[in-house]
Amino acid sequence: MAEAPVLTDPFTEAAERLKTLTKVMSTKAAIGQTPKELVWTLNKAKLYRYTPVLPQEQRHPVPVVLVFALMNRPYILDLRPGHSFVEYMVNKGYDLYLLDWGAPGPEDKNLTFDDYTLDYMPRAIRKLKATFGVEEFSLLGWCIGAILTTIYAALRGDEDGLRNLILLTAPLDFSDKQNLTFARWTDERYFDVDKVLATFGNMPGEMIDYGAKALKPVENYVGNYVKLWDNIDDPRMVESWHAMNTWVTDNVPLAGGAFRQLIVDLYRKDKLMRGELMIRGQRVDLSRIHANLLTVIAEDDHITPSCQSEPIMAKVSSADKELFRVRGGHIGIMAGSGASKFTWPHIDGWLAPRSK
Amino acid sequence: MAEDPVHDGKRFDPMEPWKGVRDIYLDAWGKTMVDMVNSEAYAQATGAVLDTYLTVSAPFREAVEKAMLKTLEQLAMPSRADVVSIAGRMTNIEMRLDDLDAKLDGIQRLIVQAGTAPLAEPRPARQRSKPPASKKTSSAKKAKRGKK
Repeated sequence: MAEAPVLTDPFTEAAERLKTLTKVMSTKAAIGQTPKELVWTLNKAKLYRYTPVLPQEQRHPVPVVLVFALMNRPYILDLRPGHSFVEYMVNKGYDLYLLDWGAPGPEDKNLTFDDYTLDYMPRAIRKLKATFGVEEFSLLGWCIGAILTTIYAALRGDEDGLRNLILLTAPLDFSDKQNLTFARWTDERYFDVDKVLATFGNMPGEMIDYGAKALKPVENYVGNYVKLWDNIDDPRMVESWHAMNTWVTDNVPLAGGAFRQLIVDLYRKDKLMRGELMIRGQRVDLSRIHANLLTVIAEDDHITPSCQSEPIMAKVSSADKELFRVRGGHIGIMAGSGASKFTWPHIDGWLAPRSK
Repeated sequence: MAEDPVHDGKRFDPMEPWKGVRDIYLDAWGKTMVDMVNSEAYAQATGAVLDTYLTVSAPFREAVEKAMLKTLEQLAMPSRADVVSIAGRMTNIEMRLDDLDAKLDGIQRLIVQAGTAPLAEPRPARQRSKPPASKKTSSAKKAKRGKK
């Protein structure tokens, strides 16, 4: 008996592949699905509490607040079920909160680090403490979120009851200009920050996205899609790519005032590490940080090289501090395939005994 | 020829040998591009392109903004500046509400503390009704002073 004509197979396969490709390129994946409730809101900022899955007596008494960057959506921390840092930490018994900055509108163009660290963060923390009756808390800041948490820890940490501080890929030291491509691009000889902000108000998300992708143009604009095509028959890979692509293409603007501070005060003048950064009239003195400190460095990070995160270890007054290096990129260490094997367990292992 | 050539359970892909070549090419291209974007010349060029765009587009943008402003005025509709101003006021009101919320939380905490305080330990102000205890304290203090 003759078998089914095999010549139709390649066409069927090609059609299926194109169908999958069209789907992942034109739709958004379901992300950020861990259940949560709104605790506090101010302007665009929101504080969420993830619904605990363990009874109170099995949970760590010290809550953890996640603070992500200003120009990306924070759901990278809760990408998809089965591969979510949030889900992992909730299952490990942490009372987990997320400070979502939202997307600034034209009316927010004057928001600065001063507002984020001395208005928004203290208010959110106050509400958390008042609502859930806790005195101490832990902060986890990632990327620009790590800058904000560092400034906050130096200015308000002791006063507000900050016990543990976790900094992920924190761009804090800007002295090594040769290793910082962003510093070269935003050099005052080439980049007129005032002219850009006079035109746009806030720094457009598309421009920030271009800047991040242009650091590795071939990898981001070509290799990423080649990788998808090579693995298009693997549903798990496609699902993972789809979720990540949904996050990568969902950029938000950066408030003009904060962008100016980032470029002028940090990238150009390195004021934070020099101890010259002034936030609403107060000098940000890193030696005023006493909280237990864990700094996580991504060894293959092209956005925040390790030289930007290491020096803070010598500046803080924390008696308990650790520097943890992990293989991976800026985002990959927390959202890549190795995150659940290396980074997340290490954070849990460090935080658990310090959350009692 | 009845069966497809299958290796290790996978269908034979005639493009497979080319993938290695492609990956080597992409890798080399990627490294070249990374070197290029890291150069001073690239920073200068992108800065010049952005500056030119901002300068050239400014008159058009201003003209559009003026025309839009006049149109909105004629239609008795709020301009962007009006909406931004209202949004700023809203945030200000939210801040005041948050301040009130903080005060209410503080009052609630005091009420709870006041309600539970007698169970935990007597408040100092109410110790007036217990003269023996205060006498003991004062005499103890006097004794200490005497020793000094």
